[in-house]
Amino acid sequence: MVRLKLIPFCGPHVHLVEAGTPVIGNDQFENNLVLVETVAYSKGLPPEGISIMLEFAMSLRMGNSPCVRVLKCLIPATVVPQEAVVRAVVWLCVGKIPISSQVLFIKWVLTVFDLIDAKDQLRAIYGFIFNFVTEENLCPFICHLLYLLTRKESVQIFRVRKLLELQSKLGRQPFLLYLLSLYRVFCPELVTLSIPSRMRSGFRNHNSPWKSALIAVQKKNGSQVSPTISLPFMTNSRKRKHRHLEIPKLCSVVNKPAQTEPSFSRKVVPFMQLNSFTELLENLHRIELPAQMGSLLASSMALHYLDCVQDESALLRLNFWLGYTLHEEFLFNSDGGASQDLDEAQQFLNKLLFTQDFLQEGFSATEAFLYKFLRVWDGSLLRPQILSLLSNIPVVPSLKIGRLLFEPLMQLFFTSSVFFKCGLIECLNNMLSKWLSWHTVYALEDDLDISLNSHTSINMTLSEFKDSVMELVHFVGRLASVGLQLESYHSLLLSFILDFYETVCDTFVKYELPLIVMPPAGVFYPALFATEPVSVDRLAYIMYRYKVNLTSAKLDIKQKMKASHISRQTFYEFNHYKAIMVNCLWNSKMSEPDMGLQLKEELLCKSNIPEYWKSFDLINHPAFMSCAIDFHRKCWPRKRNVDLNSIKLSRPWTWYLQYLYSQGYNGLKQFVSSM
Amino acid sequence: MFKFVSGFYCSIVNMERGHSSGVKTPPTRGVVQKSKNKTYQQSYRSCLRASSRFALTPALTARRLNTSRRAPRLHNITEKVRPEHLDILMKTEWKLAYVTPLYQFRHTQLQSYSRQLSEFIAAEKQQGLAVEVEGLQSSFRVSFSVVPGMTEADDDAETVLIQIHSKPMFARQDKPQKPVWSGWLTCINGNPDYLQSLPQDFICLPLFGSSGSEVLTRLVQSWFQQTFDCCFGCLEISETCLHWLAALWTNCHSESSIQRLKLIWTIPVKPVLQVTYTVNPQDAWDLWSDIRKEPGEENEGEDGRSVDIEEVTRFIQGLKNHFYKHFKLDLSAGPLQQVSTALGSAKYSDLQQQIYDHHPHTTDRGCPPQNAHLENKDFKPTGNATFQQHLNTGNLEFFICIITTHEHINTIFTYYGWTNGYNLN
Repeated sequence: MVRLKLIPFCGPHVHLVEAGTPVIGNDQFENNLVLVETVAYSKGLPPEGISIMLEFAMSLRMGNSPCVRVLKCLIPATVVPQEAVVRAVVWLCVGKIPISSQVLFIKWVLTVFDLIDAKDQLRAIYGFIFNFVTEENLCPFICHLLYLLTRKESVQIFRVRKLLELQSKLGRQPFLLYLLSLYRVFCPELVTLSIPSRMRSGFRNHNSPWKSALIAVQKKNGSQVSPTISLPFMTNSRKRKHRHLEIPKLCSVVNKPAQTEPSFSRKVVPFMQLNSFTELLENLHRIELPAQMGSLLASSMALHYLDCVQDESALLRLNFWLGYTLHEEFLFNSDGGASQDLDEAQQFLNKLLFTQDFLQEGFSATEAFLYKFLRVWDGSLLRPQILSLLSNIPVVPSLKIGRLLFEPLMQLFFTSSVFFKCGLIECLNNMLSKWLSWHTVYALEDDLDISLNSHTSINMTLSEFKDSVMELVHFVGRLASVGLQLESYHSLLLSFILDFYETVCDTFVKYELPLIVMPPAGVFYPALFATEPVSVDRLAYIMYRYKVNLTSAKLDIKQKMKASHISRQTFYEFNHYKAIMVNCLWNSKMSEPDMGLQLKEELLCKSNIPEYWKSFDLINHPAFMSCAIDFHRKCWPRKRNVDLNSIKLSRPWTWYLQYLYSQGYNGLKQFVSSM
Repeated sequence: MFKFVSGFYCSIVNMERGHSSGVKTPPTRGVVQKSKNKTYQQSYRSCLRASSRFALTPALTARRLNTSRRAPRLHNITEKVRPEHLDILMKTEWKLAYVTPLYQFRHTQLQSYSRQLSEFIAAEKQQGLAVEVEGLQSSFRVSFSVVPGMTEADDDAETVLIQIHSKPMFARQDKPQKPVWSGWLTCINGNPDYLQSLPQDFICLPLFGSSGSEVLTRLVQSWFQQTFDCCFGCLEISETCLHWLAALWTNCHSESSIQRLKLIWTIPVKPVLQVTYTVNPQDAWDLWSDIRKEPGEENEGEDGRSVDIEEVTRFIQGLKNHFYKHFKLDLSAGPLQQVSTALGSAKYSDLQQQIYDHHPHTTDRGCPPQNAHLENKDFKPTGNATFQQHLNTGNLEFFICIITTHEHINTIFTYYGWTNGYNLN
C-alpha cells in the first residue's frame, strides 16, 4: 500500500509510490495530499519538499489528476531548488504530460521564477526550453520564460528564424514581439523590428493560482520576495506632436564599427542591458554607449555613467542633440509652439536642470541657446526654469558679457514686475557664487591662473576672471540702485539685493579671489535707512564681513610681500561707509563733512524735525523705534511718558544694545564688536 | 522647396579612369588638442566634475546676422558630376532640412546602410512585426551612393545620394522597380576650421534635400537619427531668403546668363491675385550694377566684394517701384512666393497656407487664385521659348551655398561654429 505522508517529515517515502497506483478510493493518499495542501497553504513547502512533490507530479506516477492538484499547491516557503525545475523540464520533454498540465507547470515556473535559487542550469537547457515554442498553447508562456532566461549567447540566428516563422503563422503576437525585441537588444544586427506605440503592457501575469497564497505564505514567513513578476518593459505610449521634445529611447548601436582591434577584443556591454547600479559599476570599463546620446538623460542611472564618460565625441553628440532640441522648440518654432505644449516644455527643462544639477555643470548647448533666447524672451515664459538655467552658465569673458548677458537682461529687468526683478537678482547671485566656486577649485591647481576649459578656446587668466566677476558685480549694483528707486525701495527686492552682497563681501575669505567690490551708494543708503530692522542688521553683517575680508587681504599683502591687489579706493569706500554707519546709528551725527550725501544745513532745518541729526540713531531709526519703545517699557515699566532719550544714557544704552542683540540682531553685534 | 534648373552634360574624369573609388571619406585628422596642459586638465577634472567636459563646442562665437555675404562665384559643376546624378539632382524639386553632424558615418559602408534602411522601412511599415534580415522580401529597395565631385573645399565630405525604389503590389513580375523617393546629404564649402575641429568620428553633411512622400522622408530621417545620432530640422525658405537669391543670381549674370529673372508675388485680395513678374536679365543686371556701384569704388577690383542686405533690399525695392509706376500695384502688399532664373528656382515653402493666413475668413477656399500674368513694357519679358532651354552653366554649389546661409542653418551653425566662408558680421 502507498504510504504518502507529510513531506516535511517523511518526504522520501513519496519515492516509494509505484507507478500505476490507483487514485480513486485511495483514502490514505487522499489524506496525505490534504495534509500536504494544508501545510503548503499555511507555511509553504521547504525546498526538498518542492523537489519531491514536483518530481511526483511531473512523473505522472499516479496519473494526471494528482499532478494538477500537486502543482496547484506547490507554494515554496523559501526557495525553489533549480535541480527540481530542471528535472521537471526533463519530464516535460518525455512528452506524456497532457498539454493543460504542461501549461500549468510553466505558469508555475514563471510565478516562482524569482525564488529559484540559481538559473545557470536552466540557461544551459535554453535550447530544450526553446523547443517548446512550436507548441501553440505553450508558446506564450515559453516566450515569457525565455524572455527571463535570455542572455546574449542564447540569441542565435536559427532561433530568430524560428520566431519569425512562428510570427508569420500566428500573426503579430505580443509575446513573440517582446521576445524578439529582447533579442534585438542583444543582437541588433539580427533582428529588425519596430514596436507599435499602442502596445504597452508586457507579458500578462499568469500567476493567478499561486499569487495570493504565495504572498500570504511569504508574509507569514516574514521573507521579502518581489511580489510582481512583471517585466521592466515599457513602451512610451504617449504620442507627441513635437517629436523633437522627446528624450530619445535607449537603443543599442546597430551599426558597429566594421573592425575592432583584434589585439584586444574586449567584450562590450550595451548600456541598455544594465539593470542596476551594481551592474553598472561592474561593467564600467566596457560599456557601449547607446545609439542616441540624448537617451542618457532619461534615467538617473545613466546620469551616473554620464558623469564619468570621457569620450569627447559622446559629449559632442549630446550637445548637438540638446542644442538642436532647444533651438527647434524655443527659437525656430515661431508660431507659439512652445506655449502649446507648455507642460511638455516645462518637463523637458526641468529634466535638463536636474541633469545639470546632478552633474554640477552646464552644457554648452544650453549656454549658447540662452544667449539667443534672452533676446526674444518675454520674461515670463517658463521663468523659473530659464532663470535656473541661466544661473548655471560658466564664466563669460568680460569683453562679451555686456552684449551677451547684460543688454538683454537689463531690458527685461526694467520692464518687468518686482517679482521678476527679485528672481533675476537671485539668479545672478547664484551665477556669481557658482563662478566663485569654480574659481576656488581651479585656483588650487595652478598658481592663480585658471583655465576654464568650458570655453575650450579661451584660456582665462586670473585677471580676466576678475574682470568678469567685477563686471557682473557692477552690473548688479547698477540694476539694484535703479531697481530700488523704481520699486520705491521694495523690501523684498532689497532683501534679494542684500543676499547678493552677502556673496560679494566674502569673495576674498570664502573664495580666495583677490577682489573686493563695495556696494554702490544706491544700495548702501536704502539699506541703511530701511524701515525693516532686518535690512539694517544684514547691512551691518555685510559691513562686518567686508571688514574681515579687507583685513585678511591686507595681512596677505604684508605676508607675501605682494603688490596690493585691492585698490586703495576700496579701502577708502569701506572706511567711508563705516564712518557713516557708526555716525548715524551710534553717534547721532548726520552731517559729517565727507559724507556722501550733502544736504544743506538750512534745508534740514526747514524740515522742522527737531534734532534731525538724531533721526537715524539706533533709538530713533524708523526700523528700531519699536524696539526702543519696547525696551523702554521693559526697563521702566512704571514710567508713563516714554522718553526715548533716556536710553541714550550710558548704562541704559549698553542694556539697550544687549537687548537688541538678544532680539537676534547678530549683524549689529558683529559689526559693533569688530569696529 | 527649391530646384536646380540647369547643368551641363559631360564626361566624368573618374569614370574614364575606370575606378570609381573616388569615394572620399574626409582625411583622418587628429582631434584638435584643446588644452595646452593635459595633466592639468585631468587633475582638475578629478577635483570637481568640472564644467569642462560638457561644454566642448565653442559657444561664444559672436552672433552673426545675415546682413552681408560674399558673393559666391560660379563653378561649373557639370564637369565634375556624373550625368546620371546631375539628371536626378536637376529635375527634381527638393525640400530642405539641416542636419547636425553624423556620428560614425562611413562612406565605405554605404552598402550596409542600404540594407539596414530597407529593413528599417519594412519594419516600420508593418509595425509589430520583426523582419527577416537576410533574404529581403520587402517591396522597398534602398540604395545609397556617392555623388563624386559635389564638393568644393578639401574638407567637404562627399555628397551622398539616397534613392528608394518600390514595386507596386500587383505589378507584373518583369516590371522594374520605380523610384519613389530620393534625397541627398551634402556639404559644400564647409568652414574648414569648424570641420577640422570636429573629432574624426563625425562626418558633417549639413544639408539634406528630399523629394518624395513625406512618410518616407520621416522614416529616412528617423533611421539616420537612430543610426548616426544626428538631428534633422526643417529649413524653410523665407521671403528674405528669396530676396537674397534674386539678388545673388542676378549678380552672376555677367558670368553666365540667367536668361530671365522671374518673381511671383501673391497679393492678398479677394480673390487672391498672383503676380508673375518676369524681368529681362540685362535690365535686372543694370539695376543691380547701379546699386552695387554706389558705395566706395575701392573694392571693385577684387572679385568678391561682399553683398550687403541693404543692397538686396534696394534691388527688390527698385523692382517693386518700377512695377508700381506701370501698374499702380504695390507689390509690398503681399509676400514674394517664388524666384526663378536659369540657375535655379526657389519657392516659399507653404504657399497655400500663407495665402489663407491672410484671409482667415475667406469662404471660397476651393477657388483657385486668379492669376494675372502682367507684362512689363520696359523690362521686356522673356518668351516661353527661352523657358525650356537649360543650356546654361549650372551651378549647384552656388545654389547650395546660398541655401546654407539661410537664417536657420546659420543660426544653428553659428552655434556649431559654422560660417560658410562668408563675411558675416
